[in-house]
Amino acid sequence: MAFTDQEILETIRMVELETLDIRATTLGINLLDCADPDLEATCEKVYAKIVQHARNLVEVAESIADDYGVPIVNKRIAVTPVAWIAGPSGAEDLTPLALALDAAAEEVGVDFIGGFSAYVHKGFTSADRALVDSIPAALAATECVCASVSVASTRAGINMDAVDRFATAVLDAAARTSETGGLACAKLVCFCNVVEDNPFVAGAHVGVGEAETVLNVGVSGPGVVRSALERLGPDADLLAVAETIKRTAFKVTRMGELVGREAARRLETSFGIVDISLAPTPAVGDSVAGILELVGVECAGAPGTTAALALLTDAVKKGGAMASSSVGGLSGAFIPVSEDGGMIRAVAEGVLSLEKLEAMTSVCSVGLDMVAVPGDTPHDVIVGIIADEMAIGMVNHKTTAVRLIPVPGKGVGETVEWGGLLGTAIVQRAGAGGCSLLQRRGGRIPAPLQGYRN
Amino acid sequence: MPRRYLTTQDVRRAHTAEIVVGPDTLVTPQALAAAEAAGVSIRTGDGPYREPAPARGPDAPGALEHLPRMPEPVDDPSATGVVVTCVGRNRPGVLAELTTAIARHGCSIGDVSQKMVDDYFHMVLVVELSASGSGFKELKADLECLGGENDYVVRIMHERVFRFMHRV
Repeated sequence: MAFTDQEILETIRMVELETLDIRATTLGINLLDCADPDLEATCEKVYAKIVQHARNLVEVAESIADDYGVPIVNKRIAVTPVAWIAGPSGAEDLTPLALALDAAAEEVGVDFIGGFSAYVHKGFTSADRALVDSIPAALAATECVCASVSVASTRAGINMDAVDRFATAVLDAAARTSETGGLACAKLVCFCNVVEDNPFVAGAHVGVGEAETVLNVGVSGPGVVRSALERLGPDADLLAVAETIKRTAFKVTRMGELVGREAARRLETSFGIVDISLAPTPAVGDSVAGILELVGVECAGAPGTTAALALLTDAVKKGGAMASSSVGGLSGAFIPVSEDGGMIRAVAEGVLSLEKLEAMTSVCSVGLDMVAVPGDTPHDVIVGIIADEMAIGMVNHKTTAVRLIPVPGKGVGETVEWGGLLGTAIVQRAGAGGCSLLQRRGGRIPAPLQGYRN
Repeated sequence: MPRRYLTTQDVRRAHTAEIVVGPDTLVTPQALAAAEAAGVSIRTGDGPYREPAPARGPDAPGALEHLPRMPEPVDDPSATGVVVTCVGRNRPGVLAELTTAIARHGCSIGDVSQKMVDDYFHMVLVVELSASGSGFKELKADLECLGGENDYVVRIMHERVFRFMHRV
């Protein structure tokens, strides 16, 4: 036999017991050719192009799942940041574009569509401004549209005016969806050093250097890493822990590579990247916090957590990089609080504070993710939280993001249930004091010296 | 006229009973509806309009050409098998049930291995799909119905998954 029983059973166990899956097959579609002086015509073109290109995406993903016996959970679409195609119309309310994206996503049967986005890390165009201001209405009016805004980069610095406007959008989006616990904010994220080929929502979009259409794959598998560490036991040293995570990430990424190649071939498009990201789900065992505890901290958020997370993120990236020449996206470890049972427990026990989370984001692969704060959090505090997170990314040449949900009507310690993959959150204290002068000053925090790397 | 899109506005502006579009023009659903309502026919140079195949861009043909040439981990280049694993409590007839089902789909068994621990067994079969028999999907659906609670479970995956995962 070409494989040992042990190898075969390992793979079966990963899929059956350890919830290994292809988390997302995301078809990226360039929409630049849809720009039109008339917004209605732009919407028509956007709808027609997305439906034309993605009509068989779900069918192809399911055929691969059927032919290989590998679960593919989500099928998604990413598009060109729509601010770039809204310019010629001069429209101020871009909600119709979001509705067109939503209708196209519904027509082809995908669960999310990312790309209601703008790049404003250095400055706004009129269309960028219109897009950011349209976000709350757009998210409240749609089901599966995700919005993202690039507000900072190592090269450009932090556009504090953009952070300010984004914070306004976050508060407004939460207020418009108060009956669902501010759910719109779960589809809204801002970035420093935005990743242009990210297949995971809410930040998925097709950046400026991408091909006409491109197929990206996101693989996950916190459960697999967790089980591997359980088998390794408490006596192994940290080098052995890193090696175990690396080997596991290698195997997981290989499955993503196989599915990515096959999906691109069947869709007759370019194959973009495999994103190996440990993305937790509320399912038992599918927790990044659980991995950190197995590495050696008592509870996620306790001293030692940042070090353990640094080891984890790095080992995942290394295993992934060995497994595929197409590793990209956000690859590493996600720490979305509400989506991770272990993180929620840590918040409930008072071990995981927002400040500790911020420290963890300096070594995780994304940033402050799915964090619930009180609905009455002042505007300047939201601005401050975002600016701090962007500063970490800017100075460290790293992607950071903020997906913050000010839950309307809820205070610190209260629970909010979003259901599904988004999970449950406990509203966290959004720091002490504010930064209203910093917010009022506005302008741009200049790029750090390490940004000038040419 | 060669153009990428034809929208409702284009239909309204045309002021003709017939619009001829290029073979690659994508007519939006709204434009099609507007044309029908206005009694305007849309056609290409050689017949009625049909939605063109999606243009995946200049990179796509190259990618499709190169994708099959990407190195793959291969033990046996001709292998097209599927791996069937079966775990459960031993009782007479398990192997017979499995092999009967596999034979029903016209597949041949390339290799079998089995281990017993106390009352429990795990069995791995490498099965070759035949060109004339059922595909993976049908075989999977059939085999995974076998066994049951407190009996045994069957899982089936394509061999290529194992090759990618365990071979460099």
